[in-house]
Amino acid sequence: MANITKKVSWSSRPDETGATGETTPLLNGSEQPRHSRQVELMSGEGAIFHIGRHGAGDLEEEMTTEEVKSEGRPKEIPHNEKLLSLKFESLDYDNIENQLFLDEERRMSYMGFRCLEISRWVICALIGFLTGLIACFIDIVVEQVAKVKYNVIKENIETFTEAGGLSISLILWAVLNCSFVIVGAILVAFFEPIAAGSGIPQIKCYLNGVKIPRVVRLKTLVVKVCGVICSVVGGLAVGKEGPMIHSGGVVAAGVSQGRSTSLKRDFKIFEYFRRDTEKRDFVSAGAAAGVSAAFGAPVGGVLFSLEEGASFWNQMLTWRIFFASMISTFTLNFVLSVYHKKPGELSNPGLINFGRFESDVGDFFTSIFHSSTVLQAELLLCLMSAVLFCRYVHRPCLQVMEATLVAAVTAAVSFTMIYFSNDCQPLAPDNTEVYQLQLFCADGEYNSMATAFFNTPEKSVTSLFHDQPGTYNPLTLGLFTLTYFFLACWTYGLAVSAGVFIPSLLIGAAWGRLCGILLFWCSTWADPGKYALIGAAAQLGGIVRMTLSLTVILVEATGNVTYGLPIMLVLMTSKIVGDYFQEGLYDIHIKLQSVPFLHWEAPATSHWLTAREVMSSPVTCLNKIEKVGTIVDILSNTSTNHNGFPVVVQVMEGDVVILCGLILRSQLIVLLKHKVFVELARSRLTQRKLLLKDFRDAYPRFPPIQSIHVSQDERECMMDLTEFMNPTPYTVPQETSLPRVFKLFRALGLRHLVVVDDENRVVGLVSRKDLARYHLGKHGLEELHLAQT
Amino acid sequence: QGKNTKYSVLLLALLTLNTIYMVQADSPNPAPDMSSLFSTSLMSSFPEDLEISGYCKELLFFFKQRYVTFVDCLILAARPVKVCQNCSSSYSRLQDIYRNISDQVGPGNESCRDSLLSSDRLMVVYQLYSNLQDLWTSSNCESNLTNDTLNFLSTLNQTLTCFEKYQLGNHTELCKSCKKMYGDVNKLYGRMEKNDTMCIDLEDAMNMTRRLWSKNFNCSLPRDETVPVLAVSSFMLFLPVIFYLSSFLHSEQKKRKLIHRSLLDRYSIKAAGDGIFSVR
Repeated sequence: MANITKKVSWSSRPDETGATGETTPLLNGSEQPRHSRQVELMSGEGAIFHIGRHGAGDLEEEMTTEEVKSEGRPKEIPHNEKLLSLKFESLDYDNIENQLFLDEERRMSYMGFRCLEISRWVICALIGFLTGLIACFIDIVVEQVAKVKYNVIKENIETFTEAGGLSISLILWAVLNCSFVIVGAILVAFFEPIAAGSGIPQIKCYLNGVKIPRVVRLKTLVVKVCGVICSVVGGLAVGKEGPMIHSGGVVAAGVSQGRSTSLKRDFKIFEYFRRDTEKRDFVSAGAAAGVSAAFGAPVGGVLFSLEEGASFWNQMLTWRIFFASMISTFTLNFVLSVYHKKPGELSNPGLINFGRFESDVGDFFTSIFHSSTVLQAELLLCLMSAVLFCRYVHRPCLQVMEATLVAAVTAAVSFTMIYFSNDCQPLAPDNTEVYQLQLFCADGEYNSMATAFFNTPEKSVTSLFHDQPGTYNPLTLGLFTLTYFFLACWTYGLAVSAGVFIPSLLIGAAWGRLCGILLFWCSTWADPGKYALIGAAAQLGGIVRMTLSLTVILVEATGNVTYGLPIMLVLMTSKIVGDYFQEGLYDIHIKLQSVPFLHWEAPATSHWLTAREVMSSPVTCLNKIEKVGTIVDILSNTSTNHNGFPVVVQVMEGDVVILCGLILRSQLIVLLKHKVFVELARSRLTQRKLLLKDFRDAYPRFPPIQSIHVSQDERECMMDLTEFMNPTPYTVPQETSLPRVFKLFRALGLRHLVVVDDENRVVGLVSRKDLARYHLGKHGLEELHLAQT
Repeated sequence: QGKNTKYSVLLLALLTLNTIYMVQADSPNPAPDMSSLFSTSLMSSFPEDLEISGYCKELLFFFKQRYVTFVDCLILAARPVKVCQNCSSSYSRLQDIYRNISDQVGPGNESCRDSLLSSDRLMVVYQLYSNLQDLWTSSNCESNLTNDTLNFLSTLNQTLTCFEKYQLGNHTELCKSCKKMYGDVNKLYGRMEKNDTMCIDLEDAMNMTRRLWSKNFNCSLPRDETVPVLAVSSFMLFLPVIFYLSSFLHSEQKKRKLIHRSLLDRYSIKAAGDGIFSVR
């Protein structure tokens, strides 16, 4: 994290800091170390170089007191989307080329590097395989449980249609839905809140370089998978495709490390990959594998992780990612074919099957007409995001209650719609997979509203795509679209793990089919099923705003390249129209969570900003040979939860201190834990030299500083950082413009960028938050506020 | 009866073989005579080994006869569908002759398989037969007769008689009195449908009965529970309103503590000490 100096007096509200304990753990006596640091600062022992932009010490004092006076207490505002949270940290994508690293590289043979390369491939294969298996598991369990549920309700409805008392079936339906959803919501709300939603925003942030706490843990995966099953079976307006991407990411992060911290098992393999850099590569492979398992779109998966995650194109990495996604979709396909008792007949490449579409030249023209109707769908999107904002429900029990209520309402609304629908259609010969309800229709016919509501959303989508023209009447479709839209909006904000892909596809498909039917009246050559496809693409594109990857995903899911152009045109239109009103759903989500997310480009009108204005200063620096006590104090200072410390060295002339390296908090903690002190090394000559392995073993959960005990004697020892610091950190001069700094950050995945003057003295430090704060708003360049959450 | 037909087919096949044998014995090569009928269009006849033998020609003739019989039967039984009932025997006869052509070997180890079925692009015999075969498969006539089927047929007949009885009078009376019988048929049919595929005759008969019942006589179930259903669902719709209102009133939105650090402030700092750095 950045060395952000807080000019706010935290001591004024001790009770408030207590509330934030989870993210910034407090010391037992949090007042005390701060106090001592203050004393040290005042007495100016020279142990800490406090480098500021201002000349004299008293000036700073003046400023501080002024600020304390003017502010008194931290300003509080309601949560909104224009904040940046301090709780998020960056990932270290920059390789630390310290002495240890160089030693290890020297020791490693040519064969060693070959083995590393091979094990990367092996890991990718494993990632694909496991992701595919997880997808199968979700699919099979959902299918089986849904079958039981729908059959019970169906039988119940059939008996009560005759005997009277349909309200009992309604209650049964609602109770069944609620009980599934309660389980899912309890899992999410009480065990792992990060597993809520689709997880795509979180993975996006992770790939962008933001460390979201607990996002790639095994527990998250388990909760996610169970949660998805519960919420889909519970009949909510959700899909199981989005969470696959998150699941793939978690699988990748787990497999590549060769151990699980949650299970306390270390398989002693793949130890080389226990670094943020390597892990990120694998997580992007996992995300790709997830997409490819969800939609049967391996190329789309690769493009997804390139579009959303990667900051630069790496040929070998891309090739490996592609391998992972191919394996994933093949595994899913193969296992499902065995499950369906047709081994070898590989016809289920993804969780959702769009089925086959025939190519037809007419589509090119019709789709372009159609894209104009997309405009209206986009308008509705604004409503969807509005629902996101007004959430007053924070406590877990309330979240569970809310989810339950939504499940009940979904059941009630669906039942009422089915009950009052007069749209009866004759039974199709071979629709055995779809649950059909007769209700008040003539014998041998079924209620067509029920095909849409009384089924898992995937099946409804497929029937909207492929049912014969004339299967649905326009009124049914219109009502369905409207109801389902509101339900989907409402459901999206719930604390259940579920995706938004399928609901939006479903809304779009219904909407598109409606348009198709209306056109069908004027001209006879329009196939409503194709309109459904185009509508689905438009709606999905309007909601997630992905471009290239979504086009490829949809083309692959339809299995027909001819549809590429229509789908692309529609996605372009919906993106243009949507961007005019509102950002994409995932971006809104990221903003609401106050994540310091770096987009592709710096804001357009920011060239006048220089590093001097952007950076944080003053910076807490460390000496090359530093006293242990000082380090412990700095690290345990909760008010300045810094993560990177420039290491400086005093040159001969005395006063001038120049930059010679950069060291991270995690490294310092490992050093303290192993007590790598100069004095000890002298006394015990036999002491083992610290290796890079020791740092990797502590990764990724470095212990907090509070858990490391340093005795009073040891505090007086000295620590030599020369071997461990990164001797060549990236630096920029003060006059560097913001876009230039931004480019460095985005392309290299930096965490800290030291700003130096022309004599290589540390002036300030630029971190991710300093850059993410600037964004282009409606009135030019805007600055986000930093906030404690 | 099935056995009988089989026997007769066997006999027929034997007879055929006999006649063919005799024909061959009489005139070893009758082909030129036959082809001379068509000589106006195709002038020359082919060398002996490329022509089809008399045996094969005979088989082809029988195939034609049986094919025509079967198609005749199909067309007559098309509506209302009685295909399975009427045409099973003629289909099995057609099947036999086709099997003769394709699998069996005639006298002198002679097989007509290649010469009749696949010696040209059109493959008329094969195509004709496979078309009918597809039709037959989709009619599901091969599904076995069980006690259920017989039971079903009798109940269906009873129901239809019942319909006939009350047809002229008030339909509500018909609905009331035939309801039990109709329900039985429906239930039986549902059970049979679940177990295995139904033959088209039964399916069609049931479809017609159902249409009579719900469309012609209007005996479908009435929608008479609107009030309770509406009450329950509106109660459920009402719950979230209470929930959101209460949580809106009782809890407030999370407040975020701002860390004040805007450009403006730092400008003032910069103005205060521009460009001078010192170590304290």
